[in-house]
This record gives sequence, structure tokens and C-alpha cells, in this order.
Amino acid sequence: MLSNIGNIFFILNILVTISIIYFCYHSVRDKKYNLAKIVKLSILQSTFAIMTFATLIAAFIISDFSLITVYENSHSAKPLFYKISGAWGNHEGSLLLWISIMSIFSFLYLIINEKSNSNSLLITTVCQNFLILAFLFFSLINSNPFSKILPIPPDGLGLNPILQDPALAIHPPLLYIGFVGSSIYFSAALSSLITGYNNKNFAIQIKPWVKVTWFFQSLGIIVGSIWAYYELGWGGFWFWDPVENASLMPWFAMTALIHSLIILERRESLYSWVIILCLLTFILSVTGTFLVRSGILNSVHTFANDPSRGLYILVLLFLMVVISFAIFFTKTKKETYIFENFSKEVFILSNNWFMAFYLITVFIGTVYPIFTEVLLNNKISVGPPFYNLVIAPIIIPFLFFMALGPNSSWIKFKSFDKKKFVIVLFLSIIVNLAMIKFFGGLSTLSNLIIISSLFLIIYSILDFIFSAKEKKHLNISRAVSHLGFGLLMMFIIINHNFSFEKDANLKVGETEKFESYEITFSKLRLDKRENYNALIGDFIFKDRKSGIVRNLQPEIRIYNDPETLTYEASIRTNIFRDYYLTMSNIDRSDFYNIKFQNKPFMIWIWISAIIISLGGIQRLFIFKK
Amino acid sequence: MIKNITKLSLILLFLSSNAFSESVFDEAKIFKNIRCLVCQGQSIADSNSEFAQTIKIVVRDQIKEGKNEKEIYDFLSNKFGEWIIYKPKFNYRNSILWLLPYLSLILGGILIYKFLRKRKN
Repeated sequence: MLSNIGNIFFILNILVTISIIYFCYHSVRDKKYNLAKIVKLSILQSTFAIMTFATLIAAFIISDFSLITVYENSHSAKPLFYKISGAWGNHEGSLLLWISIMSIFSFLYLIINEKSNSNSLLITTVCQNFLILAFLFFSLINSNPFSKILPIPPDGLGLNPILQDPALAIHPPLLYIGFVGSSIYFSAALSSLITGYNNKNFAIQIKPWVKVTWFFQSLGIIVGSIWAYYELGWGGFWFWDPVENASLMPWFAMTALIHSLIILERRESLYSWVIILCLLTFILSVTGTFLVRSGILNSVHTFANDPSRGLYILVLLFLMVVISFAIFFTKTKKETYIFENFSKEVFILSNNWFMAFYLITVFIGTVYPIFTEVLLNNKISVGPPFYNLVIAPIIIPFLFFMALGPNSSWIKFKSFDKKKFVIVLFLSIIVNLAMIKFFGGLSTLSNLIIISSLFLIIYSILDFIFSAKEKKHLNISRAVSHLGFGLLMMFIIINHNFSFEKDANLKVGETEKFESYEITFSKLRLDKRENYNALIGDFIFKDRKSGIVRNLQPEIRIYNDPETLTYEASIRTNIFRDYYLTMSNIDRSDFYNIKFQNKPFMIWIWISAIIISLGGIQRLFIFKK
Repeated sequence: MIKNITKLSLILLFLSSNAFSESVFDEAKIFKNIRCLVCQGQSIADSNSEFAQTIKIVVRDQIKEGKNEKEIYDFLSNKFGEWIIYKPKFNYRNSILWLLPYLSLILGGILIYKFLRKRKN
């Protein structure tokens, strides 16, 4: 039943999408702008997209196992919340989310820009709807969430237990608003090339969309990291995993775009580069989807792949790249850029310079193993040591540029405040020395990164103070994001250098002593929960130096449908550090392997990252005023 | 005044970067660089699988035998393939991987520099 309803919505959606393209095309050709009709069709399109998605969610709620997608990703005994989130925790369902977001963005873009250049707006809608159509066909033909299974199985296979988590329920929608949302400025860029609508208004028109998607992309990445930190049980939050990289690459492109858009808006320059970044962001998003869904990469996210899907996405990607760059090269006019030394333009360009470097590094690192495997038949791994080694040194000049850039001025060279520079640098070094005294020694590279991040932090704080004092205009969102980035780098480096780790094998009743700490395994108990049994270890942690005593209760969860073991970390957070304890069973013995970690300033890493992302919506509030 | 602070800064910078830095031969660093082959994207430092425990023992033994980091990696790559090491070797095969990022950085720098020069002429 639901299968039929879903498929009917699909067909209706395809028909509406085709008619939107048809009417837009006619309005442009006949120069009769009838936006009202297209807006109505767009409302209908978004409604159908949401209804399709809602149908699938309904199937998950009532556990309709006649649908393969529900059968493979749900179970009747699962809590309702995870039945619902299971709807987008799989490939087929997430495509419906994808289509819904594309349709809603298409509709919103249309009504918000109703009064702007009609030609360009209509062509944008055409491009966007071609994209929607491509994904509708992909979903309907290749990855239909409403495919049936016969005979109807008595129960489902269940959702991977590590996905049964609130953070992972909101992680995909956040990330999707980010990188699927970027399709709207992909379309707008194509339209701008075709219609020649390339002035400062174009920049103003797409700016809020870039910011909104950037904000959600940032949040999505943060939530994913937090989840990895507490759920995967290894105490880290970023592994340079191919799928993490896939979400980071569009983020770099978006960040570069936010910056270069400022030049287009203020100086009406850099148009071609802005267009390339618009196109690149969505192309990278689809590339990421291809890498993840095709299963071409080995990663923690391989619960979501199937080789047969790769081909369709690859063909789509190929068409997108070829068509968009064909339009770009035929329509773009040669521009000459002339910028004064140390002007704001140059500093903004230097942001793009670093972003391009990070993007290329991450891209090469992600796809290089594929090439060596195919061409040289030699499978290699490109992991955290590579990225840390290549990227870390380049963070240092980047942080300095981030501090100095905002204090420069447009067009001309402003004499550069040497006194301020030297004093702030001096202060940073002093604070760094104090840190060394307090925490202990660091490597040269870590020291330099901390000094440069302190430099950025102090500069940003001074920006706040001076603008308040002299009542000067301050770009708050910029100051907030830059400050957040300085803090993030500093806390990551401190955390990275001073995390402490110790593992031991313990039986109930035993105590392990190391450094000034002691951990006692006091009790083991079994607890029956809604859809799993938990084996809970009661540990008492003592720090003899500070006298801190904490109870830590890591769990081993035994999920029954299907039978899977997961290891739940016990984390005690305060503003200075996280105590992190995991426990795992050792086969054929009474011993349990425990891993204790002391991770300084963990919570500040999350706070700094959230500060960065807040800069994105702060800008929006100003925009609306 | 400014000059003195600059000098002082440089001295302090030198101090903070060198005098206090320590490099220790650290088994945790080696563990983090070895892929757990039976897990999905985890190093043996992060995994509690039996495979990870076994390799940890092997590595500890080799450290006791006095082998250095490179020798341990070579031993493991010979046995399990290069796939097991997270940090790819710097050799001619992987030169694109290691050099392209920096080449792009230099190229980008030249490009921006070119935009600057035109004004002066």
C-alpha cells in the first residue's frame, strides 16, 4: 500500500518538475514573466517531495517490512525515535531527504528573489529543476526506497546500533542542508553565466544562501565529530577518514566562496573565480556522495554503500562537470585583476589561497589510494599522520593572515601597525611560555601553532575592544568566526599534546595504579534496556594529587536484533578536561580490557567550533536589519 | 622600544621552541600509525580487537629488540602490505601525493603575486 502511495508521489513529483522547467523556459522565450504560476508549481513540488519522504517515514513507524528499505534498516522492537531516524539513516531514504531539500531551496530562492532580475531567476529555477529531476530519476530507478520484497519477512534486520544515537539522527539532515543546499548557488552561477547577470547584485543575492549552507555544513561536521568522540570509543574526534574528508572538502570551497564574494560585492571583481567556487562546492558535494555511496573507499561509514549505485552518480557527476564547465568556458569573459599590495583584496585572496591548499591536500589524500590501487596495484593508506604533517605547518602563516587581514583597508595600502604587531606577538609568546611552564614541553611546531593562534585570538579581541571604544563599525560575524578559529586551533594542539592514555586488563575487585591516578573495578552488573542488554562496569577513579574522585560506568551493549556488541564510553566532562573510560571483554577470561584517557579542554574544542559556525548566522541577522 | 621588544620576542621564541621541546620514542605514536586490518578505519591504538592486541605485542617486542620506527614499519608492510601503515612512504611512487599540495601552494602564491605586480608597472 505505502509502496504504491510513495511511487505515485514520485511520478507526480517528476511531472511537476518537468512542467516547472517547461513553464520557465516558455516565460524566458516569450518574455512573459508569469512567476505566480511557477511559484504555485514549486509549492506543489516541495509538498510532493515532503509527502514522499513522509510516506517512507510512515512505513518505518508502522514497520512495514514489505519494503526492502524498511526491512533492511529497521526492526519492530526498536524505539520509535530510531525507527523515524532510520528513515534517513540509509541510502534510499537519505536520497528523499536530498530531493526534499533541493525542492525547498528551489522554492525559497524563488519567492525570496521574486522582485529581482526575472530572466536570471527563471534560468536558475530551470537549472535547479534539472538537478532535481536527475536525482528523482536516480531515486526512482536505481535506489527506490519503495521497492517491495516477497514474501514479506516477519521482522526487519535492524539498524546498526552505533547509528542509534540522537547525534546521528540530526547529523545527516544538518549536513544535507549544507551540501545539498549548495545546489542553489550552483544553479544561480550557471544562470548568471547564461544571462550575463554578473554584477554586484548577483553577489548580494547568493550571499545569504552561501552563509546558511556554510552554517549548517559546519554544524553537521561538528555534530558528526562529537558523535565519533563519544560513540566510537577511541577518544578522538577527527580521523581524516575519507567520509569526514568528503564533508570537509565542500566546506573549504564554501569558506573560500564566503570570502571571495566580499570582493565581488565591494569591488565587482573576481567574478569568474566566484563562479568557479559556486560550481565547485556542489560538484564536491556530489563527489563526496559518490565516494561514500559507491563503497570505493574503506571507511567507518561503509554501512552506507553499494557498488552498483556508484555508476549512476559518477555519470551524473561527469555530466554536471562537463556541462557546467562548458557553459563557463563559452560564456566567461577574460578579466584582469589588479590589486594593491597588502590591500584587503589581497588578504581575502590569501584566504582562498590557503583554502585551495587545504582542499587540494585533502582531495589528493582521499583519492590517491584509489589511483595507486587501480594503476599500480598497490593498496596504500593515507591517514592522520599524512594530513597532520602536510597541513599543520601551513596553519601558522594562515593564522597570521587571518589576524592581519581584517585590519587592512580596501583598494589601498594602509601603513601597517608595526607596534601593535610586535606587542601582540610578544604577548602571545609570553602566554605560550606560561603554558609550557604549566603543562610541560611541546614540539617546535606545536609551539609555533599555539603562538600564532594566540596572536589571532588577541588580535580578534582587540578588534572587539577598539571598535567598541572608537564606535567604529565591526564586522561581528567575521570577528566571531576568526576568534573561534584561533581558539579551536589552540585547544586542538593542547589537547593533542597533553592527552594521556593508559590501558590495562582488570578483573572485578582489582585496582590499577599509574602516575598519580588509580582506578578500581568495583562491580559488574547487567541491565536490561529497551532493545539491548547492557553489561555495566562500575569503576572508581581517583587522582591522588588533586583528590578528585569520580565514578565511571562504561558499558558493553549487547543488541539482540541483529546480535551486535557495542562499547559505550563513560565520559566525565568539566571545563578543564574530560575523563574518558572504555571497557571491552577479553574472550575466555574474567579480565576486562579498560582504556582510560585524560583529555584536556575537550569541551572547549566543541565550543570553539560552534563559535566559528555562529559567525555564519550572525551575518544573517545583520542582513535582515 | 619596539626594536627591543622584537629582539626579546625572538629570543623567547627561540627558547620556547627549543629548550622545552622534547622528542621521545613513543610507542603510542607507532600504534596510531598502524591500521587495524579487521576494523573499519581505526588504528590499533584505538581498537580493542584481538588483531590490534596482537600487533601491539609484536610492536612492543620489536621495540625491545632495539628496532627503530622505520624497521618496524618495514617489517609490518612486508607481512601485511603497505595498506597497514597510515603514513605513506615518501618514495617516487608517492611523490605526487606528497608534493602536489605544496606545488599547488607555490602556484597559488605566484598567481596572487602576479595580480599585484601589474599595478606597479
